[in-house]
Amino acid sequence: MLGARADLLMYEYDGAVDTATPDAVVLPESTADVSALARFCHEHAVPIVPRGAGTGLSGGAIPVEGGVVVSFARMARIIEIDVANMRAVVQPGVINLHLSTAAAPHGLHFVPDPSSQKACTLGGNVAENSGGPHTLSYGVTTNHVTGLEIVLSDGEVVRLGGKAVEDEGYDLVGTFVGSEGTLGLVTEITVKLVPLPEDKRTLMAAFDTMDAASETVSAIIAAGIVPSAIEMMDQLATEAVEAAVHAGYPLDAGGILLVEVDGPRDGLDDMRQRIEMICREHGARSIRIAATALERERLWAGRKGAFAAMGRLSPDYYVQDGVIPRTRLPEILRVVKAAGERHHLRVANVFHAGDGNLHPLILFDLRDGPEELERAKAAGLEILTACVEAGGSLTGEHGIGMEKNCYMPLQFAPHDLAAMRRVKDAFDPAGLMNPGKVFPTPSRCREFALPAAR
Amino acid sequence: MTAVSVQATPADAAECARILADASRDRRTIRVAGGMTKSYIGESGDTDDELRTSRLAGIVDHVPADLTVTVAGGTRIADLVAALASAGQFLPLDPPHAEAATIGGVIAANSNGFWRARYGSVRDLLIGTRIALPDGTVVRAGGRVVKNVAGYDLNKLFTGSFGTLGVIVEATLKVLPIPTASDGVLASFARGTDAFAAAERIARAAARAEAIVVERMARDDWRLLVTARGEAAAVARAVTDARREVKLRGGSPAELAGELAVLRELPARAADGALVRVAVPVAAQTAFADTAARLESFATLVADAASGVVRVHLHGDDPAVIRDAEALLLAARMVGGGGRVERRAEELRGRLSGWPTRSTGEALMRRIKDAFDPAGILEPGRSPA
Repeated sequence: MLGARADLLMYEYDGAVDTATPDAVVLPESTADVSALARFCHEHAVPIVPRGAGTGLSGGAIPVEGGVVVSFARMARIIEIDVANMRAVVQPGVINLHLSTAAAPHGLHFVPDPSSQKACTLGGNVAENSGGPHTLSYGVTTNHVTGLEIVLSDGEVVRLGGKAVEDEGYDLVGTFVGSEGTLGLVTEITVKLVPLPEDKRTLMAAFDTMDAASETVSAIIAAGIVPSAIEMMDQLATEAVEAAVHAGYPLDAGGILLVEVDGPRDGLDDMRQRIEMICREHGARSIRIAATALERERLWAGRKGAFAAMGRLSPDYYVQDGVIPRTRLPEILRVVKAAGERHHLRVANVFHAGDGNLHPLILFDLRDGPEELERAKAAGLEILTACVEAGGSLTGEHGIGMEKNCYMPLQFAPHDLAAMRRVKDAFDPAGLMNPGKVFPTPSRCREFALPAAR
Repeated sequence: MTAVSVQATPADAAECARILADASRDRRTIRVAGGMTKSYIGESGDTDDELRTSRLAGIVDHVPADLTVTVAGGTRIADLVAALASAGQFLPLDPPHAEAATIGGVIAANSNGFWRARYGSVRDLLIGTRIALPDGTVVRAGGRVVKNVAGYDLNKLFTGSFGTLGVIVEATLKVLPIPTASDGVLASFARGTDAFAAAERIARAAARAEAIVVERMARDDWRLLVTARGEAAAVARAVTDARREVKLRGGSPAELAGELAVLRELPARAADGALVRVAVPVAAQTAFADTAARLESFATLVADAASGVVRVHLHGDDPAVIRDAEALLLAARMVGGGGRVERRAEELRGRLSGWPTRSTGEALMRRIKDAFDPAGILEPGRSPA
């Protein structure tokens, strides 16, 4: 347990923009430790905030109402790689990429691959229902978790599901995944391992405009091709990435698509040719095909390093991850551009175009004063409002956390939120799990007098 | 069968919610009926009222380029399939009773077919729902986008909840373009071990099969059925690889005709004795199937071998059926799986429980049930806790 001021400061921020200092930080080593801790907190009505690697982008691990931060850094063991059943059983502190690395000799991998996969933990992935570029055809975290051991806020240990594809009774595994640490603490996870694809084809296509790139995305999907990934990047993002990573993206393109197909070798080249043709029909001015694994890695390095590269453009950025039906891409990207212009902020776009999951990176500079962040948030809110109005969602993979909980009424009517609240109360009647997240809180959300969605 | 005094057929979601609110106030129990194809599942079907979703039907919205479709809960699967086909798309779900079953019923019963290993199950395809609750409200979960982590994923909670928490009045699902090519393989094996071993290899092959099913025909006669759909080259590769795996294990390949459709409807046919349905870790299927085939009342076994979902039909003397059904559920639990008696003859009701007892999570499920349906009016015989 950590209580010294200097130690606590390490835990007052995560990957997002909000901060708060915990009263204490605890590093349990077993389910029994976690259970004992929860019982203590329950007895003394202390808030409990679970934390993985702290790479989250919505403030999920920030102890906004104080209390104990529970770090899973010491519960980081891969308990079992069960090759015969294509499952892995892990502790929550295991790093995402470490699992795929451990499974690779068996020809298997764990599908969700967030950009932070070298640092983020599987417990965090469960809490946030994390995605990544390759979840377009293979699904996000919830599609890959079959069993959980959780500790409730009163210390009760509950095992849900297992290695089988389903269990009798309500699907509480599916209900728990993506609950952002507000229902309980995860102490053990059973996940699916999936055979590595036999081969891949990766291509980069450059377009004059983001409109042309967006329309290409819809055309590829409509043609019946479901690539394993379709990523899009605008000129500003390309500029930052090239300066940082030298991925070989053309600097003068208005929009860039990174498309990958995988599966059996047979037919992959056909599919690549069809995608190439669709790109050309939609005005692609240049297409580059990764001929070697090294070239593919270089193309991907640009995409995966994009957020980090933003430092080249601006000292601070605020990233949103609203989702829209993919056919609405061109229109919403224009809204994103207009929102940036209106608030005199530059916005770079680098996102999962295949599933309509935007990532506008709103650039600002806190050295110019705290109102810069407020302007960035205002621009972000305009973008999210447009996403919801287009029939989409506030977040595709980053979570609501404490960053967007005040915006929940944009997407959900009071009745919808009340239904979620029933689930919350069933799991955590004392209300100790990660308070101040997901649900709008009267104290912090007063200034957001949002009109209800419906 | 079932006794019901009042039947309600709401015309829209609001009316549906009002009926539930009235029933909650009057403490009248309700069963929810879609196509009434799976009314054999669970305990007693006797309730005060019956709510039929037949008028809550039709396609609400279909945007082919988004690969999503929104339908009213009472829409028949067959009607949805036909509407999608006219746009060159299909619902990647092949539940039993598809002729008469409704989408709401399929979601509520988490009713899957053999395609789940390829396209996912109901929980993977369902991205949005609207649900009428016993308090008279209509709530929305998820949306019309394929990726969404805003708030809790109530779609998962309602999938497989058997109408015990609310009535599904609308659903949005992922759909896919109809593939250009399809082919299949049928093979016979003398030993179940070989059939399952071949199935396991095919399930891991580079070219993914659409369905991988093992059936026990008779003593020393097991069949493996594999289908593939998709791009022509990938389908050809899948079938070639499957044939090779079959031959490696001494199986004799033959042409596949309409056998899968027959096997999918086993729950519809198994009206006598008992039909036990389990989900076990895939590698445990061989031993489980061997155990099942040796039981006194064993009749037939059909396994979705790629997923580990195995159905065993038992028939004969009642005491033997009861004893064997309980043995199978125990066997599933021993290997870390679970199951239920999905269907049993009317005379076995009361002597053979449909729902298994759970060791963990039961209190949590009970609290959720109470939170959504405090008066306990919905599907009293089908609550999991």
